[in-house]
Amino acid sequence: MPDSTRAHDLLESASDAVTMAKRAGADDVWAGVSRSRSVSFTYRDGTLEKVEDSTSRGLSLRLYVDGRYSSHGTTDLQPERLQAFVREAVAVTRALQPDPHREITDPELFANRPDDELERVDPAIAALDRDRREAWCKAMDELAHADERVISAECGVFSGHSESASASSNGFSGTAEGDYAGYSTQVTVREDADKRPEGSYYAVGRFLGDLPGPESIAKEALKRALDRIGSRKGPTTRTTLVVDNQSASSLLWRALGPASAAAIQQGRSFWAGKQGKQLFSKKLTVIDDPLLPRGLSSRHYDGEGISARRLPIIEKGVVKNFYVDTYYGKKAGLTPTTGSPSNRVVALGSKSLDQILKAVGDGIYVMSWMGGNSDSTTGDFSLGLRGFEIKNGKLGAPVGEMNVTGNLADLWQRLELVGNDPHPFSSLKTPTLAFADVQFSGS
Amino acid sequence: MDVFTRRSFIRSSAAGAAILTTPGLLGCARNAGPRGAASGPPGQVGAVAQKAPMPPSEQQALSWFNVDKSTLSRALSELSSRGADAADVYFQHSRDNSVTMEDGIISRATTSVDQGVGLRCVIGDQTGYAFTEDLAPESMIAAAQTSATIARGGKAIAPVEFRFHDHADYYALPSRWSDVSIGDKLPIIQRAAALARELAKGREATIEKVTVSWADSEELVLIADLDGRIHTDLRPMTRLWVMLTARKGDVVQSNSANLAARRGLDWYTDARLKQVAQEAVDRTMILFDARRPPAGEMPVVLAAGASGILLHEAIGHGMEADFNRKGTSIYSDMIGRKVAPEFVTIVDNGTQEFERGALNIDDEGTECERTVLVDKGVLASFLHDNISARHYKVPSTGSGRRESFRHTPMPRMRSTYMENGPHSKDEIIGAVKRGIIAETFTNGVVQIGAGDFTFYIKNGWLIEDGKVTAPIKDINIIGNGPEALRNVTMAANDSKLDFGGWTCGKDGQSVPVSQGMPTALVSKLTVGGENA
Repeated sequence: MPDSTRAHDLLESASDAVTMAKRAGADDVWAGVSRSRSVSFTYRDGTLEKVEDSTSRGLSLRLYVDGRYSSHGTTDLQPERLQAFVREAVAVTRALQPDPHREITDPELFANRPDDELERVDPAIAALDRDRREAWCKAMDELAHADERVISAECGVFSGHSESASASSNGFSGTAEGDYAGYSTQVTVREDADKRPEGSYYAVGRFLGDLPGPESIAKEALKRALDRIGSRKGPTTRTTLVVDNQSASSLLWRALGPASAAAIQQGRSFWAGKQGKQLFSKKLTVIDDPLLPRGLSSRHYDGEGISARRLPIIEKGVVKNFYVDTYYGKKAGLTPTTGSPSNRVVALGSKSLDQILKAVGDGIYVMSWMGGNSDSTTGDFSLGLRGFEIKNGKLGAPVGEMNVTGNLADLWQRLELVGNDPHPFSSLKTPTLAFADVQFSGS
Repeated sequence: MDVFTRRSFIRSSAAGAAILTTPGLLGCARNAGPRGAASGPPGQVGAVAQKAPMPPSEQQALSWFNVDKSTLSRALSELSSRGADAADVYFQHSRDNSVTMEDGIISRATTSVDQGVGLRCVIGDQTGYAFTEDLAPESMIAAAQTSATIARGGKAIAPVEFRFHDHADYYALPSRWSDVSIGDKLPIIQRAAALARELAKGREATIEKVTVSWADSEELVLIADLDGRIHTDLRPMTRLWVMLTARKGDVVQSNSANLAARRGLDWYTDARLKQVAQEAVDRTMILFDARRPPAGEMPVVLAAGASGILLHEAIGHGMEADFNRKGTSIYSDMIGRKVAPEFVTIVDNGTQEFERGALNIDDEGTECERTVLVDKGVLASFLHDNISARHYKVPSTGSGRRESFRHTPMPRMRSTYMENGPHSKDEIIGAVKRGIIAETFTNGVVQIGAGDFTFYIKNGWLIEDGKVTAPIKDINIIGNGPEALRNVTMAANDSKLDFGGWTCGKDGQSVPVSQGMPTALVSKLTVGGENA
């Protein structure tokens, strides 16, 4: 729970905003107030290059006026200006057309809010001082330069704290607070005359103590940059695709993106009509878990005030639930779950990366995606990649300048192996994954 | 995850369908939006501020932010209290409005006001930065003190007198967005939706969904620097998207088109609305017949207009001088070298009237210019902000841009395009034995050091034996910057800028840009297709 005085202040501001908007003519109002501080230190090649330190605050409003709806945000909180802003916001709403599907969140949806301890606040982060941050940067900088081929390295230490409160005209009130901290390193090395491959790595979490030491981040970034030297284009072929646990996150993010009532109702989702059906491989189970202690996206309620609960999305490849907000739920005739994803946890397999590579034999191991996109309506995708050849069960030469192309539903049906190594620095907790018979284009 | 990676990217405004997502808990991220019946900026100066001529006078801008010259002088004095080569104070007030029409009704609007001041102290290559949304003098001074801690030396001299710097205006509008009521925007949105339905009649598939999104915004900036200069700029922007979903039997396809410029209400003529609605219909309908091309290396014809995405990724980012100052760009040591055939001239230009990428002054107060990146095949100039300009001992190219007062400026592109070449479009297509035409795009990305870049083709065509034979869709293209430039073997005389809007991302900062291209041939790129 947030510090009681500050939380009370924020909540009072949110309630005041509700009152102000009601007075200006709104029938229903949802108000959110936030305050945050962020600090980042960037070190480059032996020098502190940039220090950013800022405190920010803002107000957001969702207005329901005469059956019409609009949403607003401002950072200009001077009382008389705010009043004018709210009056104008109500007037703008009145100019729109009535929308029968738009109603403020039903109080039933914010009843039974969980009170699990989410462990979102780490006092050690607030205690970080300038000397400590600079010392970490310096230590990372030295390790990131531990090879004569390094041209430049950038190391960062960043952290932040945020507080928010929300109140509504139909009885919702809530507060939340959270910290984060992390390290990042990006290293550029020389290869031949012109090529300057780069490697990067980062760690981020709610608790400092959960992170690997900053030195290990710098070492890993340097290793990743050096590993790129000699990268070449692999052949155009169909083979096994293995994605590391970080790249697996974004691949899963693409697949889950259209799993919303909004996308389905708007005819832009390959998930449409698939509830209860086998859309993915039996090896895939994904649960949306907002109550994960120390999770980057943990919460007690979502942006609409809907009480958090664990929500199975995919169970052994079968679609169990969609992300349903109140508005598109009403439009599509679906019961609201939540419109905004929290932590997504993939059920783990038993194999380590090495065991997966051994089982696969030959293929391509992807460590990062480069551009590309997917069509949420059809699931068609095409992505650039960087990684390594897999030869005889081991990582071989670095490859790049290649694409992988297919259809998301089809690809996820080809999921054959699931690792035991969830990505620690993302709210998408994906392990290493292997997919059979995938189309690559190269030389 | 993307928050922690540091890649550059570009995306089409249309692809940023954030407008369709539910408002988040804190919903104060800057959205787009019309602010209808509202008054001018929340400045007490009332009528003066609302009816200010453009660009606003120094006095109007100062009163807009409720700040006087002695406060500016104090802030700059604090910023430079431990030494500074440069320091500036960047005030910004933005109003963004959006309106969405979906399922036949104008169902929602957003308005967003973002106001604050960023205070920067620069010493050598080092930067201290802080911002505050609270414009009270005490808050500003506290932020200045935080920012100044980057320096460790003696006090620099802060200005007491300030001089107002005038500049050209590349986007003077007959009326300001803050004077346009929401009621004036609704008929345009409804007309665009009706046109899309009308133009789709009798086509191969049935339209199931039409969504039209509108955005307009107005941004006032005031910059005061350590040399005692004051600059102001008033920056309008507007965009209109048409998004369609169509069905043919069991197959559903969706696609979109958009318009974007630093323009006013009068820009939305019926002809222009027809153009964007027709584009959206054509781009959607063709998907029912489109397939994947074969996978692998092949010649790629870049259609005139949006294909400038290739320049943005293959060379534009690599020419931003911060990467070169740090030695991390593949182009770092290439100035003066021949990098492309002689008919290739590539320009980054901030002075094209009403363009999305146009800027009167950059975000450090430098007047924008036309910068030649590649002059007749030879690498000519990087894109500079003040920090890199001091480093290279050259004038800034007016390329120092920032997303908002929350960010420090860095070298960025404005409007990037290739000038006309000697060939014709027909000649180019006729020269390709087996390859593709890239026509519309959603996004791209580059790795500055390795030079590898990608862009994603939404719509295109297959070429077989010099003839256009079939539509293609949804493929990523990947190549290497310097190699792709060397392999530009033909360019036509039909160079034009894309009419759609693009947003460029770098180090977590997004800025509006334009891009353009004549029809051109790159003899070899890796195409993400599918082989049977």
